[in-house]
Formats: sequence, C-alpha cells, structure tokens
Amino acid sequence: MNVLAGDHRRELGIRSYPLLVYALTPLAALVVQALLPRFLRGYAWFDLPLVVTIYFALVRRDPIQGTLMGCGLGLFEDAMTHHAIGVNGVTKTVAGFLSGSVGVRIDVENHTIRLALTFLLSILSSVLYVFIYRILLDLDLEWSWVAELMKAVGNAVIAAALFPLLDLAQIRE
Amino acid sequence: MESFFVRYRNLLVLLAILLAQIIGLAVQVRRTASGRSTLDAADPSGVRLIRLWADAVVTPPEVLVHAGKLGTEKLWSDYLDLRGVREENKQLQQTIDRLRLEQAALLEDARQGERLQALVDFQQKYIYKTLAAQAIGSSGSDSSRVFYIDKGTGEGLAPDMAVITADGIVGKLREVYPHTAQVLVINDQTSGAGVILQATRIRGILRGNASGRLQIVGILKDDRIQPGETVMTAGGDLVFPRGLPVGVVDKVVLDPDRDSFIDVIVKPAAHLNRLDEVLVITSTAPRFSDEQQQDISTSEAQKGAEVEAIKQQKKASEIMAERLPGLTDPNAPAASPASAATPGTPNTGTPTQPGAAPVAPPAPKLLPARHPDRFTPGAAPSAGSGAETPAPPEAPRSQTP
Repeated sequence: MNVLAGDHRRELGIRSYPLLVYALTPLAALVVQALLPRFLRGYAWFDLPLVVTIYFALVRRDPIQGTLMGCGLGLFEDAMTHHAIGVNGVTKTVAGFLSGSVGVRIDVENHTIRLALTFLLSILSSVLYVFIYRILLDLDLEWSWVAELMKAVGNAVIAAALFPLLDLAQIRE
Repeated sequence: MESFFVRYRNLLVLLAILLAQIIGLAVQVRRTASGRSTLDAADPSGVRLIRLWADAVVTPPEVLVHAGKLGTEKLWSDYLDLRGVREENKQLQQTIDRLRLEQAALLEDARQGERLQALVDFQQKYIYKTLAAQAIGSSGSDSSRVFYIDKGTGEGLAPDMAVITADGIVGKLREVYPHTAQVLVINDQTSGAGVILQATRIRGILRGNASGRLQIVGILKDDRIQPGETVMTAGGDLVFPRGLPVGVVDKVVLDPDRDSFIDVIVKPAAHLNRLDEVLVITSTAPRFSDEQQQDISTSEAQKGAEVEAIKQQKKASEIMAERLPGLTDPNAPAASPASAATPGTPNTGTPTQPGAAPVAPPAPKLLPARHPDRFTPGAAPSAGSGAETPAPPEAPRSQTP
C-alpha cells in the first residue's frame, strides 16, 4: 500500500478524529466492558473493544493502525482476565488488520456493510480464540457456540448504535 | 529490497506483532508430567506487570463510576425522593411513642435472647477475621469469571484468601494489587473447592462449567443424593474454612465422560452474578472483641499475680521454718539403724517391714516423782520388810506396747 498523500487521503475518504477521541474511546470501551457484565448478571454478550477496533480500522482505512489498536486493546482485555495474555491480543490484531484492509476496498459509509462486517469479524475472533486456546496452546476450554453467536449479534447491535455516534466526532475539513 | 518492505509493510507488521504475541503465549504455558498443557499458577513477572498496568488503567475509572453510582443513589434517597416525608414523619413519631412502651417490656426478653444467640453463634462469630470490600468491576469476558474489589495489599490482602458473603462462599483472591484485587469466582472453569454434602457426607470437588453453573465432579453414582441437600465447604483445600455454606443440590446428571460417575449441579447460596459487597477472610485465627481481649489480659495478669503471691508465700514459710526452734534436740546422738527398730525410738511414720518388730510411739519423758510410792513407775515393791524406800531416779525408758 502506498504512503498516503493528503489528496489521496481525501480521495479515499479517510477520517480524522480529535486525539481525545482516540485516547478515550478505547479506554471507555475497556471500562464499560469491565463494568456492564456486573449489571447484566454476568451475560457479557458483547465485546466493546472489538467493536471499537473494527470501527477505527475501518474509518481510518489503515491496516497497521487497526493492527496496533487491536493488539493493544486485546492485550489489555487479556490482562483483565485470569487467562493467558495474548489470546485476545492475537484475535483482535487479526480483526483490526482485516477491517483496515477491507476498509480500503469497500464503502465504509454503508451501515449494512459495517454491521455485516462487525458480525463476521466477531465470529472470526471467536473461531481464532478457540483455535489458539485449544489447538495452539492445548488448553482445556469449554465452549458454547450459541453464546458466541449471541455475542456476534450483540456486537452488531452495539455497532449499529455506536458507529453513528462516533461518526459525529470526526473532524470535517 | 526497499520496495519489498514498503510493498508488504502491512503484512510484515502484522506478522511481527502476531509472532511476538505467540512467543509470549508460549512462555506462559507449561506442560505437566501427565502430558497436559496448563497455565502457570503464578504469573511470570512480565505477565504480572502487564496485568498491573491494565489494572492501573482500567480500575480508577471503575472506582469513579462506582463512587458516582453510590453518590447518585445517596443523592436520590436523601434529597430528591422525599415526597410525603412530613406526613410520614408525623405518623412515625406516633409509632415511636407506642413502641417505646413496648420496648421496655421486650428489652429483658431481648437481652436473654442475645445471650443465648451469642452462645449458639460463638463459632461463626469468632472464628474468622474478615475485611469488607466492594466489587468494582469484572473481567468483561464470560469465559473468565473474575471480578475486582476495592481492597488490596495495602489493606492486608494476599492471594488465595477466601471471599465470602453472608449467604455463602464466592471465590478466592487470585491477583492482589496495591489497592485492588482480582477475585476468581467459584463458578469459573479453573476454580476449585473441596465440598461435602451435609446429609450424606459425600465429598467432592466443586468447579464451574462453561455456562457458569456450579457442579461437583468426580462422585460415584449414589441414589442418596437428592435435590435440595445442602452443600458445605469441606475445609481441605487450604482456602475455604470448613462448614461455610456453598449452596444446595439442584439436580444430579450423569457424567458424560465416565459411566459410573455423576455430576451434581449446585445452586449457589451466594448471588454470584450480583455481588456488591463481599467479605475477605484475612485470618482464620480466633478473633475476640475488644471487651473480650481486655478480659483475657486481665485474667492473665491476675493469674500471673496469683502465681507470684504463691511463690512469695512459699518463700516466707521456708524462712519461717528455718527460724523456728526445732522439735528435736540438736545435741542428741544420732539414732543408729539398730536402735530405730528397738522399742523406744520415735515413730518415723514409715511403714514397717512385715515380720519386723512394730515401732513404738515416742514415750514421754518422765520426771522423778517427788514422793514416790508403790504405784510410781519403776518403783519395785519390797518383798520382805515392806518398808518403802525411795526409788532412785530412773533413766527414761520406753514402755512396750
């Protein structure tokens, strides 16, 4: 991929956001992800850090930025659990990279495409999670695909509400 | 060459980051002697550092949100939700007047009840030392059933301390940070606790399953186990003291992997999904109230004073015994062993050998009679003249029994 010049960025429709949005949105996603399950009786059928990763990778249309954000958020998410650190890191790294790569080729303004992409990347993250945990690390992990499907749907629903809100925060030239 | 890196920059960055994370994962996993992979029970220092950073970043906002929630609740209940309070206050005042009269009658009964209750609950009240903590956040993942509390090493917490509520056990401390701690809930798949069924006295290991339900595993088929039976901690896991409530048996299902075994599904006594305040058992040593501690120290001090007084008394009596005149004549010749057995020697009080001559009691020292007559001991009557001559004074002699 070529280094993007200013004109080329405008052609691609790459968005910019205030620095505060870049800093606070991932942090808020981590905090809310840690807080909400307490009020929802433990049913965490959503993955806010993944949704935020997908959003910023898509709208920035930058695979490297998506990769780094996915890696950082995934590692933080792992650190909040008692599992091995890096499992969520790998899954979200891949998700960030893919959404950044896809963002170059598709219309990121289309809400249906965004939601479909969020749903598919959530499923992919779950598949990768099981693969790493059971195959790569050879660890015991009981798994419920229904719960993962519910989580993917939950992520898509949250994306439907969150993406337009974050769109409002972009810097318009 | 430069064009290669520029062309595949994205892919190279992705591969580098993935590789670094996979190496990091490999460091954390260990293979056991049985050939199974497992995570290290204690995190390596690098991993712990990452957890500490994550905790430092995520926990302060959680604490703020929690404090905000409490503040809002207080604001609502103390200031905003006060409609009809004046009328309610009047009614309450009347109720108080009536209750004061009733209180006097009930007070004596209550005191008696308290005394009896104190006896019954003695063990439960005084066996554990606990610290109250607030739940402030969770892991955010339903595959990792942990939550965070607002107390840490600064408040005296340490890993593997048991976490309970008034209803039953909750979990144990896994990671402890300066002012927060991570609690591994008992319904997590990696959790474990030794439990015992109260009625049937069957022991087993409690763990969580994928759906977050509690189950006792490794129990042989037993028809005696019925739903509703109480499950308690067995106390052998070095985390939970024995006898704490765990829950009740919900149902019994066959172990899918082993034919002759069953899984006992347990309904937890504590509300594991709605935890706000918990207690951390910081010590299982006996705990006494301030008043009791004072009583104990007073009684120990009194005991010490008593011992000292007895010592003084004994010493004084020894001194007195030394100063008092002896009952034996220090100038008298020492009694020979032979004379000890002869009549007239003082009775020492020691039992005599069978067959030996009995020891005579000490004879009184007889003074010579001023006007001896025939009845005077030692005065032999004259056989012929009948004239009475004064008998010479005799040396003291003993009387044979």
